[in-house]
Amino acid sequence: MRLLLVEDEIDIQRFLRTSLEEAGYQVEAAGDGKTAERVAIDGQFDILIVDLGLPDQDGISLILKLRQMGVHAPVLILSARRSVDDRVRGLEQGGDDYLTKPFALAELLARLRNLLKRNSPPGNEATRLRVLDLELDLLRREATRSGQLLQLTTQEFVLLEYLCRNAGRVVTRSMILDQVWGMRIQPDTNVVDVHIYRLRGKVDGQGQQPLIRTLRGVGYVLKDR
Amino acid sequence: MSSKTVKPVMRSAAWRISLWATLAFACGTMLVFIFLHRFVADDIQRRSDAWLSGEVEVLGDVAERTPKDALYDRVVGEVAELAGKEVPNKLLSESSSNDSVFFLQTGGDGSLQLWVGAGNGAPYLKAIQAVKIVSDHPTDLHVQGYSVPFRVASIRLNDGSYIYLGLSERDELRVLRSLRLRFFLLWLLLVLFGFGIVFFTTRRMLSHVREITEAASRIGHSDLTARVPTTKRNDEVSHLALTLNRMLDRIESSMHQLHTITDSLAHDLRSPLTAIRGKLEMSLSAVLQVEQAEPIVSAIDELDRLTDFLNKSLDVAEAKADALRLNRVSLDLDELLRIMIDLYEPSMSEKGLQIRLHSGGPLTIEADEALIHRMIANLFDNELKHLPADCTVNLWLQVEGDAALLILEDDGPGFDQEVCPYLFERRVKGRGSSGHGLGLAFVDAVVRAHGGIASASNRVAGGAHIGIALPLASV
Repeated sequence: MRLLLVEDEIDIQRFLRTSLEEAGYQVEAAGDGKTAERVAIDGQFDILIVDLGLPDQDGISLILKLRQMGVHAPVLILSARRSVDDRVRGLEQGGDDYLTKPFALAELLARLRNLLKRNSPPGNEATRLRVLDLELDLLRREATRSGQLLQLTTQEFVLLEYLCRNAGRVVTRSMILDQVWGMRIQPDTNVVDVHIYRLRGKVDGQGQQPLIRTLRGVGYVLKDR
Repeated sequence: MSSKTVKPVMRSAAWRISLWATLAFACGTMLVFIFLHRFVADDIQRRSDAWLSGEVEVLGDVAERTPKDALYDRVVGEVAELAGKEVPNKLLSESSSNDSVFFLQTGGDGSLQLWVGAGNGAPYLKAIQAVKIVSDHPTDLHVQGYSVPFRVASIRLNDGSYIYLGLSERDELRVLRSLRLRFFLLWLLLVLFGFGIVFFTTRRMLSHVREITEAASRIGHSDLTARVPTTKRNDEVSHLALTLNRMLDRIESSMHQLHTITDSLAHDLRSPLTAIRGKLEMSLSAVLQVEQAEPIVSAIDELDRLTDFLNKSLDVAEAKADALRLNRVSLDLDELLRIMIDLYEPSMSEKGLQIRLHSGGPLTIEADEALIHRMIANLFDNELKHLPADCTVNLWLQVEGDAALLILEDDGPGFDQEVCPYLFERRVKGRGSSGHGLGLAFVDAVVRAHGGIASASNRVAGGAHIGIALPLASV
């Protein structure tokens, strides 16, 4: 996957490049809008990360200009601004996404994956999800572990489904809040942890291999190996 | 609320102004008319008095010269009748029978000697004898059987007899009555016309004021781009509009400045925070031992708290200046509270807390979704952090008037007495609180930015009470 990173802050550019490369992306970086335009035309990119506060021009103008120049790869907008611009909202409706700074790397990666998935031709939507011996029937909203039916509430099922869809990858608390509960909030209490704790109590029974792992300071991961 | 209610005309300022102006105008013109009427009436009287005095003198002269023979009565009578035909103010439509003039001569002993006039002279004589009539000075005479008085002039002849010439005031009064009627009709027309003119001009002028008021009230808390309508005329109202617009320009520019400051502050702080967080995460992924990870994890936590604090302080700062930018969408508070409770319920029951929602069903408001989410999360976080075990949180959601009312009550220890009066201030927190003291200030900020009212107090029965009223339609 070829990725163009447009970010003027050297520190941020550096750690993003490293992390993205670790995640398997081929990263080209640009520090300003002019460079970005040139690089974007030359290389075929699958996805773009654009910071809104560029030294020579506004990130949104750059995106619009690139669109006119025939660059149709999805864009993840990074914003250090306080309010979400109407134009950002417009782009979001057009299939792009935004992330406010500071962010968790896991969330950045998850949003990139979502953007790429959204833009790839739709495959057959699975009606069943399987992670090791955990199986989810999305039509009947039922989950089984080693063939045994788990007694889950509706919300717990949605949470487990989200973890399964991201099996093997880290999901942060704010990603869970956003995707499962549909809100971008940062509670300073352990509300998400308690939900995970309860879910784990039902999914990881005694004598079974624990599937839901906590990564301190980062989030959670559903093991797929 | 911008919902336009049609004001009854009678309650408008234009109506009151025109009413008072018309009253003053009516009184003024009435006074002028009364004065004119007096003048005309006096003039008419003076004319008829002059005629009477002249005629009575002529008649006296004729009576003196005419020998007192058998023809005397005829000669004097005819002269008197002739005089009666030249009555001033006489109406043309008058019938031939002339009862508006009488001639009466008395002898020295006061007996009726000669009578020229309609009917019998006796009641006239009686009336004359009842009043003292001074020579050469016409007086009013009320004769029995006549509603209208006579104006009577007299002259004393040398032989001691008196000649009286009377003229009915009927015609004079009729002239005056018709004059009054015309005056009154004209006055009524003038007053109505004046009222109309005053009413419509003030109404037109005040309609500009009303337009300005409506436009000004549409200019919301944070949307200052709109301006009140201006007119090309160079009057007070257009000055008012221009002044308002200049004021809005200044407010908008200082608000813009505030936004620039908070935005660049946010940007300048968030960029290094992003870099630090990224580096911490990278070093965390490189660490294999749990003991080494601990300080990094707590640093990330601290950093997230700092970010949250930064966001909230800037929001509160902007809201205090009525400059918080809102992105309003339709939001069902009932649904939102249910989702929030679903999210918080496990943590609360883990702590032994209960939470109950008493809602009357879906309740949609126009609000900034992200801010309302954060506000409610804030309230729930507060309860979760500060309530001891076995407490109950009760939530009521209902419509009251044109506002959605959300009440949150608990049976915990309530707010510390010493911070009670300052609950919505920044940096105010109870002694046991570990927060940064922005919680309720943020709640208040969000509610105010939406044009609502937040209140917080301790319940009489113990525990905290927080009331939030949010307007149903956007202000």
